[in-house]
Amino acid sequence: MAGGTALRRSVYRLRLSWKLTSLNVRARLEYRVEFALGILAGILWQASVMVFATVLISRFPGLGGWSSGGVLLIASIRLLSHAVYGVLFANVNRLHAIVQEGKLEAFLLRPLPVYRQVVLHQFHINTFGDLAVAVTLFSLALRRLALEWTPFKIVFLCAAVVGGALIEAAVQTALSCAALRSPTATADWTGWLDHTLSTFGNYPLAILPGAVSGLLTFVLPVAFIAYLPAAVLTGTYEGTLVPREIALASPCAGVVLFLAARRLWNWNMRRYEGIGG
Amino acid sequence: MNSKSVPVIAERLTKTFRVAHRSAGFMGGVRAIFRPTWEYKPVVRGVSLSVQPGELVALLGPNGAGKSTTIKMLTGIVAPTTGSVRLCGLDPHRNREENARNIGAVFGQRSQLWWDLPARDSLVMLRDIFEVPAGEYRERLRQFDDMLELSRFWDTRVRHLSLGQRVRCDLAAALLHDPAVLFLDEPTIGMDVLVKEQVREFLRHQVAEDGKAVLLTTHDMKEVEHLAERIILINDGEEMFEGGVAALRSRFGATWKVHVTLSDAVGHPRLAHARIVAREGARVTFGPRPEASAPLGHALKEIINAYPVSDVSTEEDSLEDIMRTYLGGAAAARQSASGGSRMAAR
Repeated sequence: MAGGTALRRSVYRLRLSWKLTSLNVRARLEYRVEFALGILAGILWQASVMVFATVLISRFPGLGGWSSGGVLLIASIRLLSHAVYGVLFANVNRLHAIVQEGKLEAFLLRPLPVYRQVVLHQFHINTFGDLAVAVTLFSLALRRLALEWTPFKIVFLCAAVVGGALIEAAVQTALSCAALRSPTATADWTGWLDHTLSTFGNYPLAILPGAVSGLLTFVLPVAFIAYLPAAVLTGTYEGTLVPREIALASPCAGVVLFLAARRLWNWNMRRYEGIGG
Repeated sequence: MNSKSVPVIAERLTKTFRVAHRSAGFMGGVRAIFRPTWEYKPVVRGVSLSVQPGELVALLGPNGAGKSTTIKMLTGIVAPTTGSVRLCGLDPHRNREENARNIGAVFGQRSQLWWDLPARDSLVMLRDIFEVPAGEYRERLRQFDDMLELSRFWDTRVRHLSLGQRVRCDLAAALLHDPAVLFLDEPTIGMDVLVKEQVREFLRHQVAEDGKAVLLTTHDMKEVEHLAERIILINDGEEMFEGGVAALRSRFGATWKVHVTLSDAVGHPRLAHARIVAREGARVTFGPRPEASAPLGHALKEIINAYPVSDVSTEEDSLEDIMRTYLGGAAAARQSASGGSRMAAR
């Protein structure tokens, strides 16, 4: 029975992924102080967002046609999706190190897809810090927004968070292809990308000049991570560069981009030429 | 024999890397960005080899000869530029995941174990990854423990293991799923003598008792003499020699000496295989005739038959000496030849 076998294989794959993740968490727990510091680092890393939120709430009525609660919603959706990205894909932007340490060649000798081994390679504790800040920010935003939560909006919010995580994964995955060719070249770029996404992802892009806003919508699809989903949830469409229908479909952008990035990655993986002699 | 029954077959493998050529200086660097010149570096140039079940083959050659690249093509890590590889009947690059179940590999310098956890946790994880049944796992681990004394240190975090301990755990990890083929790249580098002997014994067992096909690269010629039935010597990406240790000796003009003490003064009959190279009273030293390098055994028989000998001792070049002589010659030949890589502008 092919169907039964396929199901069994899927259950086996999930269980194996779970076992690998718990092994990696256990590896981090071997060093308890580092574990605690990791979470703290995650919180501190996002501290600038918290400062920004506090200033926004206490000093300004809003930003670019958005209420302060609306801006907080953008920032919290962006951070929530970043946390989901962190749990599932954080290792992608460390691919250059994985290649340089020769670990990729060990992955190639195991009967598992290489990409899956890359994403399951380590567990990043500081993601819990991201998550803590994201949840705090989200509850702050909810308290200031008088949103009416319909079942559609709840489903849309969840889809947007997953879609946002997939956009970040897609962009980092596409960039990491270069690490398969030349690992030293990409180390700075992944950092730059992370920084750019976290800097511009938290604001309504309408406050930026049109050209920049256009770049961040159509070239580097930052707008689709949190700005457009928040526009849908709050009904704030002025200043967005895409029609309402596209904004409504923004969670799908992540799926499409991620699938495309994975194809690109596989193409490059097949042409991996190894490191050293 | 069909290709499935021979675990490793490679035919006329080549690998050429394309590297951006960069002229010296700042302007050279700038030019390389805007108008790159590609240089084609042939690293492996037509290597053919096979390994049978229950056979250990040593792949030898100086640094940069193309050994690692050859192993990467055989294991499916990289695709060959031309030529073909079959491992247990599969193309290792195309059927990478399936092929992974047929092979094990230990790269002495690197580990596939989880650094921060006890070695045993890695073994359990690999058991699950390779879907080894629980009974087989226990049985195999017990066997590995008997031969490699793993239980003395498998509860220690891998990062705290000594090199010898770590490599022994890596060997167990590579063989846990009972692969037909084992690749070893410098497995005993940096080990002490006792552990080395233990590992060699283990490998002998894997080959002789379990019928594994093993391909070994090493710089330790003692290891080759102890373990390998066959040697493949590559240099500059080309196969220079393939055969047994004895054949390697005669091919690369290995030399020997026979020291004898004569019990009687006699004349000096001409011998077919040996000539006198030194003489001091009753003590005479023989060496091979320059025109024909005969094996030591033949010469020794001839000397003893021809001379009244009261005492005899022999000296033979080690594999180490042979390789040194050979590589020295090869390096000199390379220097006098012109550069081997082609350049092409794009």
